[in-house]
Amino acid sequence: MARLRFPLIMAVALFLAGLALMAALKDRHYMLLSLVLLGAALLPVFLRLERRRLESRELVLLAVLSAIAAVSRIPFAALPSVKPVSAIIMLSAYVFGAEAGFIIGAVAALVSNIYFGQGPWTPWQMFAWGMAGLSTGWLRNSWWMRKRAGMLLFGFLWGFLFGWIMNIWYIISLPDAFSWGLVAAAYASSFYFDLAHAVSNVFFLAVLAGGWTSVLERFRRKYGLLKE
Amino acid sequence: MSSGFRAMHPAVALLYYAGLLLFAALLMHPLFLITELVGVMLLLLLQGQGKQLLRGLPFYLLMAGSVALLNPLFSHRGAHILFYLWDQPVTLEAVLYGLIMMLVLLTIFMVFLSYNYTVTTDKFMYAFAAAAPKTALLTLMAIRFIPLFQRRLHEITMIQRFRGIDVSKGSLRKRMRDGMTLMKVLLTWSLEEALQTGDSMKARGYGIRRRTTYSTFVLDRLDTTALLLLVISGLIPLILWMLGYGTFEIYPRMRPLVFGGGEALMYTSFCLFVLIPAGLEGKEIWLWRSSRRKAYPSATPELNGTRSMSSPSQ
Repeated sequence: MARLRFPLIMAVALFLAGLALMAALKDRHYMLLSLVLLGAALLPVFLRLERRRLESRELVLLAVLSAIAAVSRIPFAALPSVKPVSAIIMLSAYVFGAEAGFIIGAVAALVSNIYFGQGPWTPWQMFAWGMAGLSTGWLRNSWWMRKRAGMLLFGFLWGFLFGWIMNIWYIISLPDAFSWGLVAAAYASSFYFDLAHAVSNVFFLAVLAGGWTSVLERFRRKYGLLKE
Repeated sequence: MSSGFRAMHPAVALLYYAGLLLFAALLMHPLFLITELVGVMLLLLLQGQGKQLLRGLPFYLLMAGSVALLNPLFSHRGAHILFYLWDQPVTLEAVLYGLIMMLVLLTIFMVFLSYNYTVTTDKFMYAFAAAAPKTALLTLMAIRFIPLFQRRLHEITMIQRFRGIDVSKGSLRKRMRDGMTLMKVLLTWSLEEALQTGDSMKARGYGIRRRTTYSTFVLDRLDTTALLLLVISGLIPLILWMLGYGTFEIYPRMRPLVFGGGEALMYTSFCLFVLIPAGLEGKEIWLWRSSRRKAYPSATPELNGTRSMSSPSQ
């Protein structure tokens, strides 16, 4: 059975992809296709994590940072969109790099939803927060990211981007109504939530930035973690 | 302690919910969608989740209802024009499509509500532990850290209060700074301790060779039967759907609903798939009632075939 596991998973994945394509072409029903594509987007980084020789220290570090990001969502549960999760993911990615940032973001979304309830939004949140980490990790050596203002601006931008990505799963269920009007209506209705997310990102980044990066940098140097 | 569908092998539950999601995303037929919605709600009620259902309902109705409303406002395709709104035609087709999409979304929400109750974290991890051991270990550790960190944060708050670091007193600026101090203490403490855990894992040989896995779940005869039934009753509608049965064409022009032999077979099989877990729950309730009615003659309890399992996480 164990020998057959990988081919079995591949077969099921291909079958699902086929069904999704069929639904998209036949009925213009893109829900399944969007999920298959999201899965494909999440796969490469996690595949690399599986393949790579990872020190147990590094694995534990990733788990701690994801858990802290997830825990920080709980005291703010009453305020929609105001949560330090994005800020913590971005700071971790800033210190530990793109790949670690993606994994921390995706795992934080998955784990915190065990407390908040899984739903069709889980893979989208995993993707959105993963990408927030990934992009911060990629740009961490650029001159403007090194500056405080550049990082705050980037956090502000991701507040909106996160909301826009989360709007896609909603818009995708109306393929026939798709028009710039619908997109504008959906994005206008989420504007205040996105703005709250963006402003809270700036706030949390401003408060956390100095202290957290130095703590994380120290741990990285002391234990020699996740060096390229 | 759990019983009924919740006590089945994780493979059964995962297959069932995956199938439900697949059908909700593929079948755009009102009859099938309503059947699935009613079936899942019945399962939720039998599982004693009526309260959860009521609590989430306003949000779900708002989300799904706005889809039903937005579609006719932005889509003007279709042949049957009902009326004009701001010089834009509102067509019967667009209204129907919006309603069907509303059903799809409601069904998906309900499926996840039942999923959150049935598939506990340990079952979810069981499914992934073998396929992706590192990711599973990472996720499992993160899940385990959350209650620990909450406890630690509470402890830190109590201790730091004596130093005057208190999030409930002082100006807003001071409170925010104090909150961040608490988080920083939590971060340093947890990282330092977790890295020791990592070293101890290494000392015990983690990463030397492939991780072995074991499972606390045993696949018994009832599980195998349920698994087989689910696979067969799930594949029949899927194959018939691929052959073109059970489709409801709305755009560009609405076609009348056809219900022939193929659809009848598809619908019967579909009903069986949707109702298997509800049947298992119903069987438990029935056995429980009949076991209570019989007064046991002796002190030794009689085996009555009720399935129960205390899951390791609880």
